[in-house]
Amino acid sequence: MATGTAVDVVMPQMGVSVSEGTVTQWLKAVGESVGVDEPLLEISTDKVDTEIPSPAGGVLAEILVQEGQTVDVGTVIGRLDAGEGAVASTDAASSPAAAEPAQPVAPVAEAAPAAPAPPTEAPPPAVAGEPATDGERTFVSPVVARIAAEHNIDVANVPGTGRGGRVTKKDILAFVESGAQPAPVAAATPAPQPTAAAAPADGHELTPGEQAQKMTVMRRAISEHMRHSLETSAPVTTVFEIDMSKVVAIRERLKQEYAEQHGVKLTYLAFIARAAVDALSKWPWVNGEIRGNQIITRSFINIGVAVALDDGKGLIVPVIRNAEEKNLLGLARAVEDLADRARSKQLSPDDVQGGTFTITNPGGYGAIMGTPIINQPQSAILDVEAIVKRAWVVTDENGNDSISIRPIMNLCLTYDHRLIDGAYAAPFMRDLRINLETWDESRY
Amino acid sequence: MPGLGYLFDLGTVAYEEAWALQRSLAAAVGQGAIPDSVILLEHPPTITMGRRTGEDELHVPADADVALVETDRGGKSTYHGPGQLVCYPILDLNRHGHDVKRYCRDLEEAAILTLAEYELEARRFDGLTGVWLDAPPRKICSIGVHVSRWVTTHGYALNVALDPAPFTEWITACGLDDASFTTMSAELSRTVTVDDVRRHATTALEQVFELALERLPDSDVADLWAQPNHDRLAEAGSVR
Repeated sequence: MATGTAVDVVMPQMGVSVSEGTVTQWLKAVGESVGVDEPLLEISTDKVDTEIPSPAGGVLAEILVQEGQTVDVGTVIGRLDAGEGAVASTDAASSPAAAEPAQPVAPVAEAAPAAPAPPTEAPPPAVAGEPATDGERTFVSPVVARIAAEHNIDVANVPGTGRGGRVTKKDILAFVESGAQPAPVAAATPAPQPTAAAAPADGHELTPGEQAQKMTVMRRAISEHMRHSLETSAPVTTVFEIDMSKVVAIRERLKQEYAEQHGVKLTYLAFIARAAVDALSKWPWVNGEIRGNQIITRSFINIGVAVALDDGKGLIVPVIRNAEEKNLLGLARAVEDLADRARSKQLSPDDVQGGTFTITNPGGYGAIMGTPIINQPQSAILDVEAIVKRAWVVTDENGNDSISIRPIMNLCLTYDHRLIDGAYAAPFMRDLRINLETWDESRY
Repeated sequence: MPGLGYLFDLGTVAYEEAWALQRSLAAAVGQGAIPDSVILLEHPPTITMGRRTGEDELHVPADADVALVETDRGGKSTYHGPGQLVCYPILDLNRHGHDVKRYCRDLEEAAILTLAEYELEARRFDGLTGVWLDAPPRKICSIGVHVSRWVTTHGYALNVALDPAPFTEWITACGLDDASFTTMSAELSRTVTVDDVRRHATTALEQVFELALERLPDSDVADLWAQPNHDRLAEAGSVR
């Protein structure tokens, strides 16, 4: 057979939308013979595993791309030594070397970049030192493969207790513990170590000093929401300065009473939410939404409050429903309850749906200005900034100006200019400011 | 003009039995002996592991009454159980776009359309195959597919009315350690039955894959059922 022609096995095109594939399993070992169209390996793309038939009958001469590695469509992943007179399959999934002039004939040169192999631990392919003789290939999990790689252990030498002799994490740890000798690196398969640079992140190589971690589902969701919002809306931000003297004084007076009598922490956010609800009821488009070609306004106000989760794990926006029915105490209680439940993951789906206006509060970190992104499909988001003592010009009833030290807070409103013009957003903000600066305890 | 397809509308079937049926049908579909086919069924409690399932994804309590099966489908571990509608389309992708990624999107579309019948607005997340409800993201339908000679096996599992706890408590389903799982009943705050969902699922599949699905009479199903042998199955199919 050694005199046969070499036939390349390439990563097949599994559709126009598919540009790469991951080798999940070689179904034949090097030196094993394979018939034309007999399943040779399995690849995975997305959540699809695909069996790849052999392009020709012969002997599997070389495996160039190891299990677990992802390569572009068309990359040579292995080579067959086709027997004399062997007919190469016409299956599109494969191409004889000669028919693929665009591909370098020497696949090793292509697969191993010119850059010197990084000296850092190069995790060997999923299955280290593939035993060439195993009849029944046993599945090895990535964890086991990693441990095997770290300790330079040939998994084939580890007694497996899992189903079908599968080597479990426990097995390999016990093996390591027992101080078993690292297997001599199988000379038969000094895998060309193609893309085995530091753990590839999603197919992208890392440069030294970089680390990769998987995006969580929440992170991905946030990233999509934000992008989607900017693609959809025409955001404009306007900033108002609010003299919080009166609110600060009232909060100082009430907070102990709230804590003792109601067990509730009275936050500035509750004041701002209450003042905003009042202004929203006067300026309904700020609480509205564009739906198709229609403008939706509502008789209710559902305030979303952006809550950052611990350890930068993301952000969630629980909703205070029917905020227009709640007084200051009710809102303070609702804010506290939602924030607690958001952080302890006790929110139900209902708690985070149906918001009509969002308040975000980076002021707690000392921020004084922001341009938040609208939480689609809402039309506006209010950014609450830090309360900072400033030298402030005040005018007394006789028209005399003087400089006073006042607690000043910026409120930034990002609104969707598709629906809301500046001449609508500004008076909304003016009314919000008046509500706060002239806080009326009898109303709220 | 939609193509003809067979619908195997089955009850509760053990995982491995259903897998054997799929392989039989796939061989027959691949040979053109029978048209594209769709199996709808439920499984008894079963945890299945795809090829890329990590050891640390499994943390099944010792006393859990659940079968463990290693499969040839894509994706990682998942859980099947009563109250989940499992859909296995056996399609020749040469007739459906010749593109495995597009096929995944099509499967998702079929599930999204099915959920829309219940006014559940489901969506995809780029890079997270499956169907999700959003804000916060919670998975309602899982997808895993195997393709051989462009014929598909496996498919989707839609959570209709079951306790989703096994997805997180017994396994780290799909390898997503921060994902939450939900069901139609939980979302709608009423009990939805798998049988009720079947017809909507069928309509959605017909629409997405442009098929007119003919429900095989139970007697025919029994015939096919009895034949794990590909050749005989192919024969039986070609009689029609």
